[in-house]
Amino acid sequence: MSAFHLKAEALSVGYRDRPVLQNLTLDLPAGQSSAILGPNGCGKSTLLSTLARLLTPSRGKVLLGDIDVHCANSRQLSRRLAILPQFPVAPEGIRVGELVKRGRTPWRGFLSPWSSADSAACRNALDAVGMQELAERPLSELSGGQRQRAWLALVLAQDTPLLLLDEPTSFLDLPHQIDVLKLLRDRIEKTGTTVVSVLHDLNLAARFNDNLVLLGHAGLVAEGVPETVITPENLRKAFDLEARVIPDPVTDRPMVVPL
Amino acid sequence: MIRQLLLVFLLLVATVLALGLGQASLGPEAVWQGLTGGDDAGALVVQILRGPRIATAILVGAAFGLSGAIFQTLLRNPLASPDVMGFSAGSGLAILGAVTVNLAVPMPIVACAGGLLTAAFVLVVARPAVGRTSLEGAPAVTIVLVGIGVGFTAAAFGSFLMTRLSGPEAAEAQRWLAGSLAARDWSDVLQLFGMVVVLVALLLLQVRNLRLLELGSELATGLGINVRKSRLGLSATAVLLAASAVAIAGPIAFVALMAPPLGARIARTTDAGGRMLASALTGALIVVLADLASRAMLPGLQLPIGVMTGILGAPYLLWLLSREIERGEL
Repeated sequence: MSAFHLKAEALSVGYRDRPVLQNLTLDLPAGQSSAILGPNGCGKSTLLSTLARLLTPSRGKVLLGDIDVHCANSRQLSRRLAILPQFPVAPEGIRVGELVKRGRTPWRGFLSPWSSADSAACRNALDAVGMQELAERPLSELSGGQRQRAWLALVLAQDTPLLLLDEPTSFLDLPHQIDVLKLLRDRIEKTGTTVVSVLHDLNLAARFNDNLVLLGHAGLVAEGVPETVITPENLRKAFDLEARVIPDPVTDRPMVVPL
Repeated sequence: MIRQLLLVFLLLVATVLALGLGQASLGPEAVWQGLTGGDDAGALVVQILRGPRIATAILVGAAFGLSGAIFQTLLRNPLASPDVMGFSAGSGLAILGAVTVNLAVPMPIVACAGGLLTAAFVLVVARPAVGRTSLEGAPAVTIVLVGIGVGFTAAAFGSFLMTRLSGPEAAEAQRWLAGSLAARDWSDVLQLFGMVVVLVALLLLQVRNLRLLELGSELATGLGINVRKSRLGLSATAVLLAASAVAIAGPIAFVALMAPPLGARIARTTDAGGRMLASALTGALIVVLADLASRAMLPGLQLPIGVMTGILGAPYLLWLLSREIERGEL
C-alpha cells in the first residue's frame, strides 16, 4: 500500500439539501492514471473537488495513504496533491513564467529565497508541456491549447506525487487533447505520478487511462480497467446510451460506437 | 520599477508644489529653507501650516490607495473600494456617534470599530443564498451593491445624528464628513504614521496570500493556503487602512476607488505587490494634488478636499458603472 494511494470511503457530498454523491467508495491506485467519467451533472467535478479537499463531505472520508485529506494540514497536503480546477482564474497580464512559479508556493518558506530546486522544477514543468520558449509571453496572448498547457505546467511545477485535474482537455481540439493526455501519460511513466482526471471523451479516456470510474445519476456504475468498465450495459446504465463496444484498431482498448 | 520611480518623482514634485503654493506663495528656495529648519515667516508656513497638512495628505492617500487596491484585487471588481462599499461611511458614522455622545475613546479606535462592523454587516447581508459552494463566498457585485446600500444608510444615520448637534458643532462635523485636511498638526501625522506602518507590515505578510487568491479559490486551496482566513485577514487589513485615514481626514470619497486602476496604468505593473505600491503612491498623489487645488484654485476660498475628489471621482464612477452595465456585470 503506497502512501499516495487515494481512497474514498462511504463518501456523501451535497450542496445543503441536494445530495450529489451518496455512499461512494472508491480506490484509486497509486502510480496509475484514473479517469472519472459520466453524464453531465452526475457529480464528476463534485467528486474530484471532494478528493482535493475543496468540498467537505457530509459523511465519509477521503484517505491519502493513511491521512484523512479533510483533517490534514493544507500546506502539507499541497506538497502531495495538486489540483487543477476546470476554470482557473488568471491574474490580469500575468506571464507564463510567473504563473508557473506560483506552483512552487508549497515548497517555499515565508522568507526563503528562490532556490535552484524551484528553478529546476519550473524549467522541467515548462519543458514537459513544451512551453519553454513562451515563458515570457503574457498568458492572455496565448491560444486556448497553449493556455491549458501553461496551467498544467503550474501544477506540474508543484511537483506532487498526485495530480487531480478537472477536465484538462475541455475546450481543446482533438490534436491538443491528445497532446495533453500524452504529456500526462509521459509524466506517469517517468515519475510514477498518480493522475486522476475528469474527462468527457470515453474513447480517449479508455485509451489513455489505466483505470476508469464511471458514474451515473444514481451513483457509481462501474470501476476498474477500461475493458470491464466500458461495456454496452454500463453505458446504458450511466448515460442511457445504446452503443456497441469494439476494440479500437490501434491499441485494442474498448471503443464506443453509439447506435 | 522605473515607472514606480516615476510615480515617486511625481509625488515629490506635487509635494514641493503643495508646500510652496497657497494663500501665501513661497518660492522653491523658501520651501527648502523651511524644510531645512529656517525660522522666518515662510519657513514657519512650511513647518507648521503646510508641512503637517501635506504629510497627512500623503499618508491618507497611501492608506486609501492600499485599501482600494486590496479590495479590487480580492473581489476582482473595479468598483470594490471602502468608499463605494460604505466602509468609510461606517467609520465616519461611528466617529459622529462618538462625538454626539461625548465618548472618551480615541477616534482611530472608534473609526476602526465602525469600519469593521460595517464590513461584517455587509458581508453577512451579501452572503450567498442556499446552494452555492462554501469556498467562493458572495459574488463581488452583490457585495458592492449591498455595500452601496449600507453606505447610504450610514449617511442617513449621520444626517440624523447631526441634527442632535449644536450649530457650530454640526458645521464642523459636516466639514469633516466631506473630508478635510485643514488644521492638522504633527501629532495627527505621527498617529496616522504609526497606524499605517503597522498595517503595511501586516499587509506585507499577506501579499503572498493575495497573489495566490488571484488564481481563484480552488487553485489557492490546492497551493496550500486557507482561503477563508486569508480573505478575512486581507479584508480586515484593508478596512483598517481606510478607517485610519478616515479617523484623521474624514471619509474622503473616491481616492480608494480611483488610485488602483490609475496607479496600475501609470506603473504598468501586473504583479500584486507592484500594484499595491503603485496604488499607494497614486493615492498619495491624488490627495496632495486635490488638497492643493482645494486651497489654491479659488482665491480666498478653501473648499473641503472631499469636494475636489468628488469633482474628479464622480465622473469616473459614472463611467465605470456604465461600462460594467454594458459588459453585463451589473
